[in-house]
Amino acid sequence: MQEATFLILTALAAGTQHGYGIISDVAEISDGRVKLLAGTLYTALDRLRADGLIGVDREEVVDNRLRRYYRLTPDGEKRLAAEAARLQAHATAALRRLNLNLAGGVA
Amino acid sequence: MNEPSMSASDSASLERGYRRLLAWYPKWFRRENEEEILAVLMACAQEDQTRPSLEAMADLLKGAVRMRLRPMPGQPRTVFLAVWLIIASVLTEAADLITLRATEGGIKASVIARYPAYAHAIGHAVNLQVTIELITGPIGIAVMLCLAWMIVKGKQRGRVAFALFFGVSCLSVLLSLSQDALVYAPAAEGIGFGTWALTAAAIMLVFNKASSPYFGRRELVLT
Repeated sequence: MQEATFLILTALAAGTQHGYGIISDVAEISDGRVKLLAGTLYTALDRLRADGLIGVDREEVVDNRLRRYYRLTPDGEKRLAAEAARLQAHATAALRRLNLNLAGGVA
Repeated sequence: MNEPSMSASDSASLERGYRRLLAWYPKWFRRENEEEILAVLMACAQEDQTRPSLEAMADLLKGAVRMRLRPMPGQPRTVFLAVWLIIASVLTEAADLITLRATEGGIKASVIARYPAYAHAIGHAVNLQVTIELITGPIGIAVMLCLAWMIVKGKQRGRVAFALFFGVSCLSVLLSLSQDALVYAPAAEGIGFGTWALTAAAIMLVFNKASSPYFGRRELVLT
């Protein structure tokens, strides 16, 4: 799973969000490191919708502009949980080895 | 999500710029998402911005290419691939015509070398043959593009017409082989065979089991 996709799913894990909300949330989650642009966001959203990982929750018209809210589907939740566990396992392994190396280096 | 405060003319100019970029996306995608994307783009704009930034421009164009490389909703992958194969065959057909035009002299020389006694008549015959190919080639390209459009639209008539077109193209390949075209015009004939192979692959995909519901469903919608 690409980092942008993972972050979009993470942004939707807390609740429904519209496009601009996802962009802001991804920037916040990544500590400003990932700046999603509209083209990238909507191609990703289209792919996630086609794969059944997200769905449209509702639509609103605010200031004559369409605002569509997206939500994570149960499949999306499972996929995000699996990806998060995979990344966590990799990170744990990396940290464990680093600690071992550091300990070895000190000794 | 509030749009930054900007004058009406700046806002209209920026919106026009974004709409021009969004026009590169497939029609079905724009119908579904254009207004929403535009709302996000306008909300992300700077206060004094009057035109899309280079970064946004590149991102939107990259997105447009990506969307063009995806099947539209409800379109089987087999139909999507078939359409791209037809487009590829249009390109090889164009390359074939260019090669034929560029190697015309060589073709004539090699035929005359084999039948030197009939040099004058052969010169005329080759000229005529090349002229016919150069006239029918662009017509074939136009027909292929038209068929690709009908297949995208899921028209059953397009599928049948494509099968007929493939039949004609098979006869044309057989005729060329019977005239030893591979010996006299190996480059053009090789590319021509490539065009035929791409069309053959496309026809198999169009008549694949997975493609059939797409055409049937569209016919139901149309009737």
